[in-house]
Amino acid sequence: MSFKDVIDEEERDAYMLCNEAIVRAALEADVQLVSFYPGAPQTEILDNFEKAASKYDFKIEVAANEKVALETVAGAAMLGKRSLTSMKSVGTNVASDALYTLAYTGLKGGCLCLIADDPHAHSSQSEQDGRWFGLTAYLPMLEPSTPKEAMEMVKKGFELSEEFGTLVLIRTTTRVNHQSGIVPLGPMNRTPFEKVSWKEMKRPYTSVGELARKGKREMLDRMEKIRKKMARSSLNRVEYFDGKELKDKGGDGEKLGVVTAGVSYCYTVEALARLELPAKILKLGVINPMAEEMIVDFCEGLDKVVIVEELSPYMEDVVRRSVKDIEIYGKRTGHFSEALEYDIPSVLEGLSAVAGVEPPFDHKEHCKEMKKLAEILPQRLPVFCAGCPHRATFWSLRRAVGDPDSVFFANDIGCYSMMCLPPVEWSDTLLCMGASMGVAAGVQYIAKEKTIAVVGDSTFFHAALPGIVNLVHNEDDVTIFVLDNAVTAMTGQQSHPGNEKKAGGREGKKLDIRSVLEGLGVEKIYDISSYEVKDNIPIIKEALEHEGVSAVISHGECALYHYRNYRRGGGKLVPYFIDLETCESVHACVLNFMCPAISVMPEEKGKARIHQDICVGCGVCSKLCPKGAIRSTATIYGGDNKPVYTVEDYEKYVEKKEAEG
Amino acid sequence: MKQINIILCGIGGEGLVLMSNIIGETCRLAGENVISGEMHGLAQRSGSVIVHMRMGDEVLSPLIPPGEADVIVSLEIMEALRYLYYLKPGGTVITNKRLVHPPGETHELVMGKVEKYVEYEGVLEAIKSTDAEVVEVNALSLAKKAGEVRAQNVVLLGALSAALSGSIPEKSFMDAVEETVPKKAVESNLKAFELGIDAYES
Ligand code: SF4
Ligand code: SF4
Repeated sequence: MSFKDVIDEEERDAYMLCNEAIVRAALEADVQLVSFYPGAPQTEILDNFEKAASKYDFKIEVAANEKVALETVAGAAMLGKRSLTSMKSVGTNVASDALYTLAYTGLKGGCLCLIADDPHAHSSQSEQDGRWFGLTAYLPMLEPSTPKEAMEMVKKGFELSEEFGTLVLIRTTTRVNHQSGIVPLGPMNRTPFEKVSWKEMKRPYTSVGELARKGKREMLDRMEKIRKKMARSSLNRVEYFDGKELKDKGGDGEKLGVVTAGVSYCYTVEALARLELPAKILKLGVINPMAEEMIVDFCEGLDKVVIVEELSPYMEDVVRRSVKDIEIYGKRTGHFSEALEYDIPSVLEGLSAVAGVEPPFDHKEHCKEMKKLAEILPQRLPVFCAGCPHRATFWSLRRAVGDPDSVFFANDIGCYSMMCLPPVEWSDTLLCMGASMGVAAGVQYIAKEKTIAVVGDSTFFHAALPGIVNLVHNEDDVTIFVLDNAVTAMTGQQSHPGNEKKAGGREGKKLDIRSVLEGLGVEKIYDISSYEVKDNIPIIKEALEHEGVSAVISHGECALYHYRNYRRGGGKLVPYFIDLETCESVHACVLNFMCPAISVMPEEKGKARIHQDICVGCGVCSKLCPKGAIRSTATIYGGDNKPVYTVEDYEKYVEKKEAEG
Repeated sequence: MKQINIILCGIGGEGLVLMSNIIGETCRLAGENVISGEMHGLAQRSGSVIVHMRMGDEVLSPLIPPGEADVIVSLEIMEALRYLYYLKPGGTVITNKRLVHPPGETHELVMGKVEKYVEYEGVLEAIKSTDAEVVEVNALSLAKKAGEVRAQNVVLLGALSAALSGSIPEKSFMDAVEETVPKKAVESNLKAFELGIDAYES
């Protein structure tokens, strides 16, 4: 698997990540415009389109947020161009204002919106179930189980969208987006990008009052037509598991039925195999509108039907409504959970309870035993990278604030969210993109303590601006921190409006955060360099003392982004080292800073050491060491101004020293 | 082919996804069905990461159930123990001979919350206390020997290919390495791969 396969013109099998397969399918389907805001688990869709943009001439944007992205692709679809956006579960909340009305107006078509849910909240603030968007917005929704199905559904989705003149939703979950498998590469039928005349296809996309009432009627009619068309769609299929393998045709008299979709289907089949349990399976690919007639037919002759789906009982309630005189099992009967993602053991547990058979292997007991052995291990949580500017900014902020309880700290979504995790655990709120500003507005009215609101640069443009406007207009008393690290770091360093690059690495217009804040009327604005940790303390203090809205913009590029570019430009990393003769095991570098490059040496009286293969040479630890024991390896070889020394050089130096005794 | 389940684990930012890509490509070249479940999205290094790789005609779930992995390949020994619950009874653990203290552990040590660092031998002992078959590979020194320090993951891949030699031809692995790594690093990576095979066999 690699990006090569995404744009390979040869028709063959390839091993691909589902998110890559989605991009491949959209390219094969001649998509002409795509727009995204990054967010797990769908970011690789944007990443691969960005790469493909150097070969194909579709239009691509990294949008300021999901709502803008959806509106952008809708714009293209109003002119009949195939377009696609994708967003993480909670991103759909941002886009939903446009989403609900687009269902009323319809579109000329060829427009897909992929909603990537995150059961288990691996990298999200909630386990939100995006299927309700399809149902409540009256939009068709497809759900694949595998990369191969995702490819098919992207292509089918475009056709469906064009046939009925509607936005089509595709729903995935983390375990589908981040699943790799063998997919067939089809022909790349791309047409050159061309403008078309609006005049020739002009019709209003307007919805208000009577227009909305008319739009609603049309939308209901459209859904009814789609319901009829999809009632027997091949995306929904019945399969038979005979206790050993899956078959297209039935044996006789299966008494147990399972209705399932998405990745739960994969777990179901394998759970049945482990139980050697014969069953009939209805695998739904169209989850809105649900094929109710098919469900009724499917249940005919069954004694029991089980619904296996992650999160809410979305399908289960449809089955309960449609089918009578049969035992129905699912979340409502307590056999399956509405929380967390599933896997084979959890589905196996539910199915074996329903069928009254013993599981062949006690996964829980096994886990308990083995996990007991692992209790000797420390946790390995994600932390700020070596050289991360956020760690430096928070070090200064913490020193400027003194007692962390003396402020209300509204945090926001980005790498800096990690401040709320152990061992630091310093954040009073963490809700959703841009929420720090709104929360701060309320808190500052009531709390006696000073209120601070932290936001990253990408989130600043995404959803914080209205909150800041609100703070300024109401003359609230809040200090804003904008962490300007140049990129959307957490999702893999995509560009955003504050970066000089736009999608695909092309030159764009950089929006200067200071100018934006000035334009919004923020009274006091301080620019600091994240890495000047000591100099920043008095500046931050001054900002905090200001009554009214003050802002501190901390500038420091994301270390992963910065040092990657630096290396690509031929630069060599110059790590720091700890001079053991000076180090007195004070551990300021560990206790207050926790750079992953630093550990201690029990055999050397607990003195600290810097791992040369992890340190990027940001130098911050050397500034905060009270003993002055941390220095750049450049000093060993002849001066800070000549960073020509590499990790390998340093290793040789150490080896030589060791040889000398 | 009979089902084969492999857990790859290690520390974020250490080439685990590249490793799973090579295995996936290997299976494609060998004409075997393969799926994997990965974790993407957390850009930060230093977190614990795991990839589930599954081969065989009937595999569908991207996640291996606990107690069903045939092999665990770990780039760092603590992670092998952390995910040992995935290993089937009598399965094989191929671990890098390397232990990296998480920053949180150093913090706890300095705070006096723990008395001492967890040591390599202790972790190894815990793994060996089960019926797992353990193969230790000094991937760093072998990668250095191959002339490519960053090829620790490919050394371990070589060891894995030796473990799977009955099911997947070595040649497919080597072709996949060739296809996946940058051109100028092919030779050193193949060397690293071979050293990995030798390490498993000795
Ligand atoms: S990805 Fe960048 S911003 Fe995020 S923790 Fe790492 S260095 Fe910091
Ligand atoms: S210079 Fe210090 S703080 Fe910066 S990366 Fe190296 S060890 Fe970490």
